[in-house]
Amino acid sequence: MPVSPDFYGHPANVPLSDTHRSDGGVMEPVIQTAHYTKTFGDLRAVNSVSLTVEKGSLFGLLGPNGSGKTTMIKMLTGQMKPTSGTAQVLGIDPSTDGVAVRGAVGIIPEQETPPSFLTAGEYLAFVGKIRHLEDTDEQADWWFDFLDFGDKRDVLCKDLSRGTRQKLMFAQAFLHKPAVALIDEPLINLDPVMQRAVKEFLADYVRSGNTIFLSTHILEIAEDICTDVAILHKGRLLHTGPVHEIIDTGTHLDDFFMDLVNRGKPDV
Amino acid sequence: MFELFTVMFKEEWRMHSTLFGSLNFALFPVMICAIAFMGAFLLPLIGTVMDTSLLVNLMHANFALLGIMVGSFGIMGKEIMNRRFGQASLLAYSGRSLPISEKRLFLNFVVKDIIYYFILWVLPFCLGFILAAPLLGMSLHYPLLTLLTLTLSFLTGLCAVFLLSSGYARSRVAFAGATAAIVLAAAIFVFMCNGNAVALFPPIALFYSVTAGNLAISLGVIFILFALSMIFFTPEYQSAEKHYTNRHTPLAQRLTFLPQHDLVAKDIIDLFRSGIAVGQTLFSFLLPLGLIWLILSVMGGFLSPEMILFNFAAVTGVIASTMYTWLTEFDTPMSYLFLPLTVSSVIRAKTETFAMLQVIPVIVLVGVALLSGTAAYIPEALALALSISFFALSVQVRYCGLSPSTLIYNARIFLTYILLIGPPVLILIALTSAHPLFAFTGILLLAPAWYLMQRGFEIWDNADVAGF
Repeated sequence: MPVSPDFYGHPANVPLSDTHRSDGGVMEPVIQTAHYTKTFGDLRAVNSVSLTVEKGSLFGLLGPNGSGKTTMIKMLTGQMKPTSGTAQVLGIDPSTDGVAVRGAVGIIPEQETPPSFLTAGEYLAFVGKIRHLEDTDEQADWWFDFLDFGDKRDVLCKDLSRGTRQKLMFAQAFLHKPAVALIDEPLINLDPVMQRAVKEFLADYVRSGNTIFLSTHILEIAEDICTDVAILHKGRLLHTGPVHEIIDTGTHLDDFFMDLVNRGKPDV
Repeated sequence: MFELFTVMFKEEWRMHSTLFGSLNFALFPVMICAIAFMGAFLLPLIGTVMDTSLLVNLMHANFALLGIMVGSFGIMGKEIMNRRFGQASLLAYSGRSLPISEKRLFLNFVVKDIIYYFILWVLPFCLGFILAAPLLGMSLHYPLLTLLTLTLSFLTGLCAVFLLSSGYARSRVAFAGATAAIVLAAAIFVFMCNGNAVALFPPIALFYSVTAGNLAISLGVIFILFALSMIFFTPEYQSAEKHYTNRHTPLAQRLTFLPQHDLVAKDIIDLFRSGIAVGQTLFSFLLPLGLIWLILSVMGGFLSPEMILFNFAAVTGVIASTMYTWLTEFDTPMSYLFLPLTVSSVIRAKTETFAMLQVIPVIVLVGVALLSGTAAYIPEALALALSISFFALSVQVRYCGLSPSTLIYNARIFLTYILLIGPPVLILIALTSAHPLFAFTGILLLAPAWYLMQRGFEIWDNADVAGF
């Protein structure tokens, strides 16, 4: 099994806890939302959410199923327009220039749906062309090797297992080395060995100064690798802040989460 | 068994009503009924310019076509159902989690589709005539007989294509064999009927001669086709892992003259690898056109050969415009809209691929003109067909975006589609019958087509992408 190689010139296998930011330096927000709201008929899927994601953080957006996490990612990447509120991603308003946002960031959508009739290799080549990359082949080689699915390069996407499709979606999101990646449940179909490798990759990636916006409901993953978290429940933001502030009080993230969700009220 | 059927029925209804609201969808059969009701009052007028028997034949051909279109979902077994329903999780796929055999699931799925589309299309159409009959002083005998024979036409078309598609999914050789057997049987039957092609189709024969024997033949044909389909049906689970070399990069390089060449290359690869290029050309294009040609050739006594060609060209244009739906069936927008692409760029790519596919109707029209001795009118026929095809494409783009095959069941959209496409087609046919050179006025349709496309791009870029 490959271990995170020197993708960005940083050492592999640095303990994940080192990713926790504590420098107290100047904040540089890469994602900001203010009263971000999305309604579907009577349902408020996202309800006046205001949050800030700083550069270099591994920001976990946590919440139970149906809490609004995927809707947040779709709005932040211009795939869906907010009902009200504003947002900036790398200084771009996704509701007016979604293509620019999607060009700058990497996205792993909720469903692993690469086009059925392209092969895995063709799909990465296709993404490289859409993103106007010069070195797609080299990048694709690296990902096939790192995620250990080079033998599936010439197989149609429709014939790939869900786990392999997840690897492919992971590769396409990072093919252009984006400064910000918004990833929705990226580990859910991967085996434990691959999950470990991906978690190390993500930790390494933010150490290089990039930012990850990770949506998940698996709290162990969030506690393992996230520097900051926001907790959504029924579209409302219940908490946002550094993970270490929770852990330093001797509370596990899952206890903190359960307590908040059961109360259903913000902690401030 | 019945519970599964009712749940599948609800599922189909909810899928459609979720997309465009219960009321809009519920109004669809009401609108079909209203169109038929109003059309019935035109019958005396139509009777003065066209033999009633031709109208009867055309109606039966139309409903056989409807059956072919509804039935063609089975052409690639599970794969086509996946494409048809996108990422939806349907009961039809629950063979792995429920203790029900694939065959039983599929049988329920087919029966559900038959009844569902009967209620959606066939019944409302005939009901319109039945309601109008007393007002026209017409006996109820013919409207009720029409309900029976149009239903049989629909079922015959559906079961015929279902048998062909079941054979295709099981083995290409079996498919070729079944097709050859059907063509041979048809030829022998025509020979035995002294060349009377209409008698070949049992529901029409039943319409003209209501006898127990004709009814038995109609039902028997449907039963045999259906039973053979179920015997040949294969669930096609877990297809073999096929390996392909990278075709996308070289193809995209060859297509650089097109603005959206990367997406067009993807669409072309999708078309061929999915089997849609061959399957749809056969079932949704050549088969309906063959039927239309058969019906039009019966009109030889009333229309000149060039008018038959122009009528055929107009129908070819309308049917060719449905190639846009082929291009939106093999993927879901969800598979690439997280990339830096606009919805309009995806639609533009599909219209570029659509333009390339128009070579198919061109070849068909040229072939038909050569075979029918009307080669001198090929330019007019092409102008007519292509202008109608591109205009109908623009209407689909404007009102249906990337989901033409589902949004067309929105009553409001369907009515708009009919009202926008029907009059220009009829006017063009009328003009062309005045003088063949008027066929070139069809080119004028390209101006509103361009406008509709631009509006469509703007509207779909600003809409949230709907997905299952």
